Amino acid sequence: MRYGKEGKNRVKINEAKVSTSNKIIIAFLTVFAFSSLFPLIWLLDFSLVKAGDLFASNILIWPDPPLWSNYATAWVDGKIPQFLFNSVFVTSLTIVITIFVSITMGYAFTRMRWKLSKFCLTLILLGMMIPIHATLLPNFIVFNKLGLINSYLGLLIPYIAFGMPVGTFIMTGFLESIPVALEESAVIDGCGVFRIIFSIILPLLKPAMVTVAVMTFLSTWNEFIMAVTFLNDDKLRTLPFAVMNFAGQYSSNYSVQFAVMMITAIPSVIVYIFLNEQITKGVTMGAVKG
Amino acid sequence: MHKILSNKLTIFLLVFPGLLLFIFALFVPIFLSVYYGMTDYSGMGKLNFIGFDNFINIFTNDPVFWHSVRNALLLGIGFVVIQHPLCIVFAILLDRIGNKIEKVYRTVFFIPCVISTVVTTKMWVNILDPNVGMLNKVLDAVGLGFLKQEWLGNPKTALLSVLFICIWQGFGWGMLIYYSGLKGISEELYEAAKIDGATSMQVYSRITLPLLKPVIRINVTLAMIAALKQMETVYLATNGGPGDATQFLANYLYIRAFSRFEYGYANAISVIFVIICLLATIISNKLLASDKEGY
Repeated sequence: MRYGKEGKNRVKINEAKVSTSNKIIIAFLTVFAFSSLFPLIWLLDFSLVKAGDLFASNILIWPDPPLWSNYATAWVDGKIPQFLFNSVFVTSLTIVITIFVSITMGYAFTRMRWKLSKFCLTLILLGMMIPIHATLLPNFIVFNKLGLINSYLGLLIPYIAFGMPVGTFIMTGFLESIPVALEESAVIDGCGVFRIIFSIILPLLKPAMVTVAVMTFLSTWNEFIMAVTFLNDDKLRTLPFAVMNFAGQYSSNYSVQFAVMMITAIPSVIVYIFLNEQITKGVTMGAVKG
Repeated sequence: MHKILSNKLTIFLLVFPGLLLFIFALFVPIFLSVYYGMTDYSGMGKLNFIGFDNFINIFTNDPVFWHSVRNALLLGIGFVVIQHPLCIVFAILLDRIGNKIEKVYRTVFFIPCVISTVVTTKMWVNILDPNVGMLNKVLDAVGLGFLKQEWLGNPKTALLSVLFICIWQGFGWGMLIYYSGLKGISEELYEAAKIDGATSMQVYSRITLPLLKPVIRINVTLAMIAALKQMETVYLATNGGPGDATQFLANYLYIRAFSRFEYGYANAISVIFVIICLLATIISNKLLASDKEGY
């Protein structure tokens, strides 16, 4: 990305230039960051104390000692392993298939010559504007008729279909920036299109693949409204459900409820911290198209 | 080369699986919605074709529909008037710090955006809870106890609370997009302005904001569309209540279909919902395009 380089230059200039006003800015940002993340700190705090402590008038309570047993209860009674497995399974399959489909489509749209290319690309990109909520009702009926309600496929199909537009958009953009010369010589050497895609294009597409993977991860991992609509069996439900389920079952045991919420939140925060740059890129690339 | 690249079978194999899935899960449902929208289907049993009755009813005889549209507009205005100015200010501040701290704060501000809406919404539901919630305790602690409320249960404060949760959750997205917009502005412009003796206020109002204009437009568009599509937070926090005070379109059609078993009517809302979203996108794209010509 272009701004990456410029950003680095600016850092150098800034470091030399402003330092006292910087301290004020940093202090201000710290206060704001603290207050905007305070709800999460509150959540963490009360997930580590006794359930009844939330009824006291304290805004925060020092967890002494932290009650990790809340997390153990959450893990077992919240059926976290089951939900976690489903989330990991559905999310990873969605990511792999979305990337695969986005690459093959992206390749067909940028390299292959066919009449409907423009039309099909527009159609796919139109998908970015269609709200998932508008497909819930008809898909519920269709999935019901086809027996896809209460099956992994019932989630995978819409997740991939909704991941594809952004994926294809990013892949197409990236493929356009790759010079065709390499592929031309491969063709002369007698390579077919699929060999070209897998042995030449795939390695070059790595950064785009990471971006698509990360974007798909965030939307699939946190998706919940389709999961509510298309699944009604705990055996198949994904992690956001643990929160819903537990809130109903243990409505007064706030600590364990909060622990379930923390357990649900932590994986995506970890992924975010590790793949920070890719997510930043993905967010801004997605935004440019809208 | 040419021959290989226009091989029909190859193209078919590359495009067909994805396209089929896409049409099956996205386009077919929309057309089905149009069909069901013209019936009085309840979700089971028989259905009668009733033409445009549902659509006419929605427009002439459904105050909740209009209320939902109004709420979406209010949320959109909330994004544009409250969230975005904050986003811009913080993006500028972040952009000015430089070094590692800049990166740390950029990461910190985005954290709420990567956490599942289920978690953040349920968290806010607990914070706003009249019995155990943090907000009422904080109000007590700072001597504003008279403001204590059942925030999500009181029709007067429920909508404001829901809007606040949405604004809180989306802050990081907005800021990140402005932030990368700022990174695209050349440092030389700032240097030149400094040399010409511009104050920092002048730099921001004469250089930063005008150059950020395209990004502002994109971001405002995204915010309006996000406001129209709002569902998860409302569904989890209030489910549109109390009464229909916090109703939004997506949630409303969901309730009509799955709680009130008016599947046909709900599909008619769904169709109008898609049309509104498409129109909003097209109008804003037109605005964006005319903006580009202006430069």
